[in-house]
Amino acid sequence: MEGAAAKTPVIEVEALEKRYGAVHAVRGVSFAILPGTCVGLLGPNGAGKTTTMRMIMGLTHVTAGRLRLFGEAPRDLGRGLRERVGLVPQEDNLDPDLSVRQNLEVYGRYFGIEAGQVALRVPKLLDFMQLAERGAAKVMQLSGGMKRRLIIARALISNPELVILDEPTTGLDPQARVMIWRRLLDLKRDGKTLLLTTHYMEEAQRLCDRIIIIDGGKVLDEGTPQQLIDRHVRGHVLEVAKPLPDGFVEDGLERNDIGDAVLYYASDPAEVTRRLPRDATYLHRAANLEDVFLRLTGHSLRQGG
Amino acid sequence: MPAHATVIAVNRYSHAVWRRNVLVWRRLMWPSLTTNVLDPLIFLFAFGYGLGAVLDQVGGMDYLSFVVPGMMCYAAMFAASFESTISTYARFSLQHTWDAILATPVTLTELMLGEMSWAATKGAFSACCVIVVGLIWGGVPYLPGVLLALPVLALGAVCFASCGLVATAHAKTWDIFAYFFTFWVTPMFVFSGTFFEVTRFPWFVQAIAWALPMTHLISVVRPLTAGATLDPWIALGHLGYVAALAVAAFTLARYRFGRRLFD
Repeated sequence: MEGAAAKTPVIEVEALEKRYGAVHAVRGVSFAILPGTCVGLLGPNGAGKTTTMRMIMGLTHVTAGRLRLFGEAPRDLGRGLRERVGLVPQEDNLDPDLSVRQNLEVYGRYFGIEAGQVALRVPKLLDFMQLAERGAAKVMQLSGGMKRRLIIARALISNPELVILDEPTTGLDPQARVMIWRRLLDLKRDGKTLLLTTHYMEEAQRLCDRIIIIDGGKVLDEGTPQQLIDRHVRGHVLEVAKPLPDGFVEDGLERNDIGDAVLYYASDPAEVTRRLPRDATYLHRAANLEDVFLRLTGHSLRQGG
Repeated sequence: MPAHATVIAVNRYSHAVWRRNVLVWRRLMWPSLTTNVLDPLIFLFAFGYGLGAVLDQVGGMDYLSFVVPGMMCYAAMFAASFESTISTYARFSLQHTWDAILATPVTLTELMLGEMSWAATKGAFSACCVIVVGLIWGGVPYLPGVLLALPVLALGAVCFASCGLVATAHAKTWDIFAYFFTFWVTPMFVFSGTFFEVTRFPWFVQAIAWALPMTHLISVVRPLTAGATLDPWIALGHLGYVAALAVAAFTLARYRFGRRLFD
């Protein structure tokens, strides 16, 4: 029984849909997230990532489809379920007039946690997110990176089993980003389930066990980073600038025209190179998640992107 | 804090929202005190001296006794209205404080009750400041009446706070609050009997005045503080109107916010 219980997905969505008036933001998204895993929701701006997360958090009503949290159907997300989820929103919604410590204390009260418990957890969380020396500082005085860290600490105040992070490192410098990645990996080691959206493929590749790529409100594909690379871009990418060399026969190659150049995907680079003239110049590199992402969602710029 | 008496601690979740606002207020107390307390005191001073000198008796009492209870109600009305509109909208839209709170076990109704009770607390607090000045100045002839007036003022503040939330629930920009103050707060200030008896106005102004909760509130608070006779049934009628409006306004605001946030 224990084994079966442990496999109950933390999040399970089936044919999830959301309409805002005439806008069909999410058009039938399905996925399941197993406990203790980190899953990345990837997609261009406006793909429906944030809306999907908001539905999971109960911050916006589900138009159609089925949603289960911890195996239960959340009717307007009951209190018991909410206590088990921490949210790191995209925007900074800290209390600017309060101190770092007060932000955590106030948030603890929203979860109905005893003051004594909160007093125990606050220093630990400040320590964990490397904010121990800034406890008395006002939020207004914090840098962008510190604010992000505080928002993550705040999401952990109730010691949640599931942490949902909407672009946790957008706009941060590399040091701050690496620090947050380490902490998120720590959380995963502690057995927490993580669902995150990101625009950084490196972040997704480092943190996520599974990746779900969505665009236009639909799931395009999902799998481990390696599975996605193997499936869509095969391991190697060769970029050949236009105009393509004379006598180059593309037939049968997997290609992606990106405007001023063409990308060829191959499991063996020789598949492409042997067709190219001897003096042709090209760029060869290992395929990564970014290639998968661009292949699946296209190269054109999005609104707000 | 005398305002504690007015706290509607529906449960610990709405109380947590209320406490958050108290905490922020304590950090920004001085500018806040200035608008909510000094403002009505300036009015009281100006009208008490200016009009009090020309007017001998109004409604069967000296002008100071007449205007002090009016100012108590005005202070409660203005503070609760301001807090539930401008300040609440800032938390809702500018600081995204509501988003942060709604991601926790606090429900929208609890969040709104927390905001409403805080706005009511500020209203009651402002009224208390006017009471203190009135007591010192001699505008409160009947002391036990003031004690009875306190819960009445608190109910009034709850009503004004709930009405303010209706405006906030409809606000897409700050502009709506200009209308709210012009068509709601100012008429209650001038037509509801704060400075003159309502009966001085032509019938159609009186009709509007009696639709406003402020008129009913003043009709109860003034006889109480002056120690005048007050038919309990009539008082109950006035308070019933204020309470009914509070419930209706809160329900409407809750419906609007629900549609706006979750749909």
